[in-house]
Amino acid sequence: MGELATSAVAGDVLVSLGLGSCIGLALLDRRLGVAGLAHVVLPSSGGNAPLGSWKFADYAVPELVDRVVKLGARRPMLEAVLVGGASMFAVSKSSLEVGQRNEAAVRELLREQHINVIAKETGGSRGRTIRVYVGSNKVTVKEAGGTEKPLIAGASVVAA
Amino acid sequence: MTRYTDTQLDALRELANIGSGTASTALSGMLGKSVDISVPNAFVLPMAEAVGSIGDPESDSTGVVLGIVGEMPGSVLLLFTPKDAELMCGLLGVEAGSEYGISALMEIGNIVGASYINALGQMIGMELEPTPPAAATDMLGAIVQSVLAERAGAGDVALLLDSDLVVEGEDCSVSFLLVPDQGGVEQMLERLGV
Repeated sequence: MGELATSAVAGDVLVSLGLGSCIGLALLDRRLGVAGLAHVVLPSSGGNAPLGSWKFADYAVPELVDRVVKLGARRPMLEAVLVGGASMFAVSKSSLEVGQRNEAAVRELLREQHINVIAKETGGSRGRTIRVYVGSNKVTVKEAGGTEKPLIAGASVVAA
Repeated sequence: MTRYTDTQLDALRELANIGSGTASTALSGMLGKSVDISVPNAFVLPMAEAVGSIGDPESDSTGVVLGIVGEMPGSVLLLFTPKDAELMCGLLGVEAGSEYGISALMEIGNIVGASYINALGQMIGMELEPTPPAAATDMLGAIVQSVLAERAGAGDVALLLDSDLVVEGEDCSVSFLLVPDQGGVEQMLERLGV
């Protein structure tokens, strides 16, 4: 929770296990095989969280963009995949809000950075795992008791 | 990162111990079986590690969550493995996975969780009220993360008071976690005078 990971090494797999109301945000430069994954817990820090509080969308999204760019990704080529943002407890109104608000916050921040969301599996009431296969650019999602299914099929692009 | 002394963690464990003792009496009355409690653990962990400390994030689990409202807001989360859910439901004469099964687990959550919350409130001298239970059967990680996300607020650490209730002779147990809102730990320690 609240972690960021990036890689430009083909064969690496970035993963967030069992996302509930949290959002797994993957950023990809598919031509260069650079990818990043953030595990966003809450939509907003309220502006007074210490540096490094990557669990907040408003801190994590710009930081993840910076980190993948530092690894060689080209900013205009970045594309996003969103997974999570569920409301696990149907009766609990507040948890429903957290998931939806997380997704809305992440989407707004991506819009500000002019990054398109090319695939997503969000909302509902199921937990999910996201895996990002660096190099092949495949992104998969898996639900409890389900199988891993591709959100982006990926291609055998070799990192430059 | 917030750090607590061993004395403080001992005091928190003792709180969990008394709370789960009361909860075990409630569960025992409901099931008509004697119920043992394990020695509780008190973890203070960075949120990134909190879920993994409880179990495999992708494992199947049923969670029943009760909110705590009053002077120290938070959540109590009861966790059942599929096997434990089945055995518990069996003891109550309903089928696990059915609508009645979920409802039975919610009722266990309600009775166990509410007695835990009441005991806690009495010990620290605070007005605490449980909210009605909600249940989810899904990945352990998704359930625990959602509760932590709702409760942790601006904090980067999670306090988890982890207790097990073990139904005698049935090899089935329920584990539960107390997750106070940010600042709740300090409030509890202050009331305990440690």
